[in-house]
Amino acid sequence: MVKIALGLWISGVVYAVFSMVPAVEGLGYLVRIAFFHIPVAWVAVLAFFLSAGWSVQYLRTREIQYDRKSAVAAALGLLFCLLATISGAIFAKLTWGAYWNWDPRQTTIFILLLIYGAYLVLRASIQDEEERARISAVYALLSSLTVPFLVFIIPRFYFSLHPEPVLNKVGKLEMNVVMLYVLLAAVGACTVLFWQLFECIVHNKQRSV
Amino acid sequence: MPTTRLNLLNGLWAVLVKDSLCEFRTCYALSALFMFALISLTSISMSIGVVSLPAQLTAALLWIILFFCAMSGLSRVFVQEQESGSIVVLRIYASGQAVIFGKLLFNVIMLFGLTFFVIPLFTMFLNVDIYRWPMFIMILFLGDIGIAATATITAALVAKTQGKSALFTVLTFPILLPQFLSSIGATTKILADSQPDMSEIMFMAAYNVAIIIASSILFDYIWYD
Repeated sequence: MVKIALGLWISGVVYAVFSMVPAVEGLGYLVRIAFFHIPVAWVAVLAFFLSAGWSVQYLRTREIQYDRKSAVAAALGLLFCLLATISGAIFAKLTWGAYWNWDPRQTTIFILLLIYGAYLVLRASIQDEEERARISAVYALLSSLTVPFLVFIIPRFYFSLHPEPVLNKVGKLEMNVVMLYVLLAAVGACTVLFWQLFECIVHNKQRSV
Repeated sequence: MPTTRLNLLNGLWAVLVKDSLCEFRTCYALSALFMFALISLTSISMSIGVVSLPAQLTAALLWIILFFCAMSGLSRVFVQEQESGSIVVLRIYASGQAVIFGKLLFNVIMLFGLTFFVIPLFTMFLNVDIYRWPMFIMILFLGDIGIAATATITAALVAKTQGKSALFTVLTFPILLPQFLSSIGATTKILADSQPDMSEIMFMAAYNVAIIIASSILFDYIWYD
């Protein structure tokens, strides 16, 4: 039931993106990529914090289920992070003329990729289940410590061409109302999709054990 | 079994002395660090000849050399304990905090020694003129502490994995990156003979404090099962 609803929701969003969203000045119809890119990037960051949150839970309670959740969130996070990086690079090629130029946003998403990669490699290299849970939880927390520093340091280093985020500093929405609603629907659909995948994988893992 | 447990400071000192003594006997980590530094510096110098590089490139090279040297030797503090099995004994005698701070101090001293060795070679081989020594030393000091602090906690993590040395770099780099970028930024300014912002120095110091506090808290979860 949920899956059918989600399928309808996603197809509705896709339809809306291709038929209702107007072309934007300067970007034209390229703006359509944003309706894929923003939700996916949002989920990549969300999954990172969820993974860190479950690591805290694991260290507090020592229940292995939290470790599994943390691992699944990180693996899905890596997938969404890759999608966000690729869609962002395509957008960059079409509008700025190069796939990659170390724009601040590209740097931060790249670091997120590195952290996800390091976390999963670390997990793969430890045999004992409890030891793996403990050590990877510590690493997840340690890496989440860098986030506030990155938010502070990266924008000082490079000039950014990235379009202003939806919730920008001025707190002003520079978006057509239709676009905003479609974007919110897309973010919602993507988050629910992530959650469905997450529940499904965790459930399967639980059952196989 | 020990009859009395050492208090934190004595324990820390004991760990530091023990590590220094072991290192002094074998000189393994120290020689690895120094040879690595020498090879990487001279290979750069050989390949570019006598051309002097732009400040930004030189600053990046300096920190890349220091980072990879650190990666070649600093994991030893925990990896060697694990491999020789002495980690069990250490766990009986010393508290977690004494171990992490003792090892951290040892790594900081090693890295200071390395920097002391690298900087003269660096100025010589790469044709660099430095005018603001106090500020430069300050940046090196903070940057070294950052590398050592991050490396110590990740060394504790990789000690129990397979493929330790490869994983060590992979785990350390993303965590160190904010510090790494700001050290390169500040050093670039020094080499271009201008004053780095005070906020940059403050940022590096704040980062060090955050990493050290976090590793002190998180280390207990690794140390005590």
